[in-house]
Amino acid sequence: MSLQIWIDGLFAGSVFAIIALSMTIVYQPTRIMNFAQGEGFILGAALGYQMVGVWKWPLIQSLAVLIIAAALMGFIMERMVMLPVQLSGSKFAWIIATLAAAMIFQSAFNIKYVNVTFSYFDIIEKDISIFGAKLSIQKLLVILMMIAVFIINDQFLKRTLWGRSIRAIAHNPDTSTILGIPTKPVIKLAFITGTVVIALVGFLATPVIIVAPAAGLFFTIQGFTAAIIGGVGSPKGAVVGGLMIGILDSVVRSWLGGTWGLFSTFFVLAIILILKPNGFFGKRVEGR
Amino acid sequence: MISTFKGLNRVLITGSLLAIALLYYFPVLIKSSNNPSFYLQVVSVAVCSAILTISLNICMGYGGLLSLMHTGMQMVGGYAIAILAVKQGWNGWLALVAAAVIGAIFAILVILISLRATYLYFGMITLAVNLIAMEAIRHGGEFTGGYNGLFGVFAPGIPSGMMSAEGFYRVMITILILAYVVQRNLIFSGFGRNTMALRESSETATALGISPNMHRVKVFGVSGALAGLAGGLLSIQIGYAVADIGDLNNGLIFFVGLFLGGVGTLAGPVLGVALVAVIDFMIRGTGQYRTLVLGSILLLTMIILPRGIVGTYRASRYGSPRSREVMPGEADNYHLDIAVKNVKKGEVLLQANDVVKHFGGVHAVDGISVQFRAGEVHGIIGPNGSGKSTLISALTRYHELTSGSVTLLGAEADKKPYKVARNGVTRVFQIPHLFERVSVLDNVLTGMYRRDNYNIFDAIFRTPRYRKANSRSVAEAKALLSLAGMLGMEELAAGSISHGQKRLLEVIRAVATEPKILILDEPATGLTQDEMHSLTSLIRTLAAGGMCVVLIEHNVAFLMDLADIVTVIQSGKVIAEGTPQEVQKNERVLEAYLGNTDFSKELA
Repeated sequence: MSLQIWIDGLFAGSVFAIIALSMTIVYQPTRIMNFAQGEGFILGAALGYQMVGVWKWPLIQSLAVLIIAAALMGFIMERMVMLPVQLSGSKFAWIIATLAAAMIFQSAFNIKYVNVTFSYFDIIEKDISIFGAKLSIQKLLVILMMIAVFIINDQFLKRTLWGRSIRAIAHNPDTSTILGIPTKPVIKLAFITGTVVIALVGFLATPVIIVAPAAGLFFTIQGFTAAIIGGVGSPKGAVVGGLMIGILDSVVRSWLGGTWGLFSTFFVLAIILILKPNGFFGKRVEGR
Repeated sequence: MISTFKGLNRVLITGSLLAIALLYYFPVLIKSSNNPSFYLQVVSVAVCSAILTISLNICMGYGGLLSLMHTGMQMVGGYAIAILAVKQGWNGWLALVAAAVIGAIFAILVILISLRATYLYFGMITLAVNLIAMEAIRHGGEFTGGYNGLFGVFAPGIPSGMMSAEGFYRVMITILILAYVVQRNLIFSGFGRNTMALRESSETATALGISPNMHRVKVFGVSGALAGLAGGLLSIQIGYAVADIGDLNNGLIFFVGLFLGGVGTLAGPVLGVALVAVIDFMIRGTGQYRTLVLGSILLLTMIILPRGIVGTYRASRYGSPRSREVMPGEADNYHLDIAVKNVKKGEVLLQANDVVKHFGGVHAVDGISVQFRAGEVHGIIGPNGSGKSTLISALTRYHELTSGSVTLLGAEADKKPYKVARNGVTRVFQIPHLFERVSVLDNVLTGMYRRDNYNIFDAIFRTPRYRKANSRSVAEAKALLSLAGMLGMEELAAGSISHGQKRLLEVIRAVATEPKILILDEPATGLTQDEMHSLTSLIRTLAAGGMCVVLIEHNVAFLMDLADIVTVIQSGKVIAEGTPQEVQKNERVLEAYLGNTDFSKELA
């Protein structure tokens, strides 16, 4: 098997890992797996296509606008999800609310971009050669971003007071409020950060993988799969799970052909859930 | 119910009957319109959605099982019809039945592989299965027609001219009504009570002897059968089966319908889907905006009407059940034989042999041997953290033993907690574990389910066997309630009664399982003086009937008054055992409770 397949797998795995990490960021204080998360990826792809591809804006300006837009989307998403969750007593409120939010964003993208797929040129069009295999700078950027997001998130949770509050809220939001932890702002910020992270990876990865406006749910599910294989709520798990399905997909794809890649991913998911129901690094999830 | 509310009930029933009549009459109404077959199709597809939403309601609303594969089940049902009726040439009606059976098998297979997964993970498995199923069908070649799907699905009887489109439409309405009746009969039966018990607390259900896994398989199977049927009907209506039917986006309408109508209510799914169908019809032709509108309605519903229409009505002054007036002498109608069968007084029922339970370095239970005898009230006391509750959890198999053994009725106790419960050991937890959203009567009936000798089909069709068992159980449940002075409160939601009543109800529910050993963990906490008296006399009655009542209690006066024998535990070890008088004089007990002071000697 050629090295190229593994490099491609590493890139795809990094994309899934970042998506899973962004979900973990939202999950930690809220205990919610956000079905609308993948729409942030589409936002990154759509804005990238619009600003870099169509309007030919400079990179810094595009990035600034992207971050502001993603933060706004995260803010709106938090309201769309948390308001029903807080008001509705149902155990399933979060899943239905995030699903509804996903559908709303998805149809908004569909309405704006009819018959368009997002693609544009690499930001830096250059390849590096590793033992004859090609790694474009664009892909390298995504891989580096994955490592950076993981380290920053990890250090943030461990070292800062804010990070410790997130862990406290995850444990018990009511007690945290009583102890003076600003629960609601922490949750808002988690949604905003999560959306900015996933929008950035959408922006960076779109030149490599062509993205359709309706593909948000697909990326959500890939991120879920990665998070679940690794263990929901665990950043380490998100990275391991993401890389695993990325590399698996790439290997199976080259071996058996396109559709089998997706097949193998879900197959592995099912097997892991049966053998290790809480993933590799996850704790038991209780009903909320 | 008080008579003024009967009037409202009558209005609702009349309304429903009118709606049904209107649905049957619908084809005649639209005959003069410019496109009757289009309108017929719109309503027919809504009927399919309603059946599917009923199925979703059974597993999510009542069973608490998060399913994201209902669109997939619908797709499977559609392919079952397409392959069996069109390609294999089966009789259409037979193929429709097969669609339901295949739906059930599909659902059962999925839940069998995912029994270990809890809640969120179960939802994710269903999501993954849904995607796998869609991919599999897309690459099924000739067999499934690949990406294009299979075409030419017709209603049974239509190609041969045996039945008109209107005729089949009426058949579909009938199937919808039947699906509703199936749902209602199941929910009101022991099957439904167990389902709700599992939704509320899997732990408590286990303590009552319900096997969580077996029951979940049944619930999901029933749900799968209805979903397969709905899918079969849908494919007949639209004339084809294609993998895209399984797309989760198509499931939005079911979720909107379910939440708008009311999750976990009988009429909710039908009412909700009907409303959504009307909205959907009004915004037809706007194509891309449909999902946007439906999604917004769903979010708004959850914010404005969190319980849905039916749920809100049920919680309101008009729709909520209230306590009824008890006729004087009514209690005499209910007789109850409390005596425990097949045990001799004083016989050893349960024996712990050198039981050890360590949690890492914590020696919670450190070699306890104890015997529980028929007809005795056995008190267990000890300071906080001495290992009382851990001992009970170990004996009832909620915890695995580190070492030692438990003998139940002369044999090694089964390793599964629900089997221990079935063999006659019922425990009542320290914190109330009632099924709060379920009525008082249903709480007691859930405890009785082991005596219900009917199966799902008896419940669905309300066979004489079901009716007989049910009326007997209800009479017994009322007898038990009157024993605790709670007659008249049957219809109240268990969550709405007072704390003391809840505790009593829990004991009653435990007694309803006909245990040989009843374990009560701090039952007297927070009871009023009156309730305490009710509890005391209830426990005395039970012990007189041959039951062994194990009491874990902090209230020493209460315990010493009731117990025949008391075991004192400290730091995971038995430090004294004997009659209350003996124990009260024991030096080590005094030391454990009060410390070795002159003061304690003074008290003794």
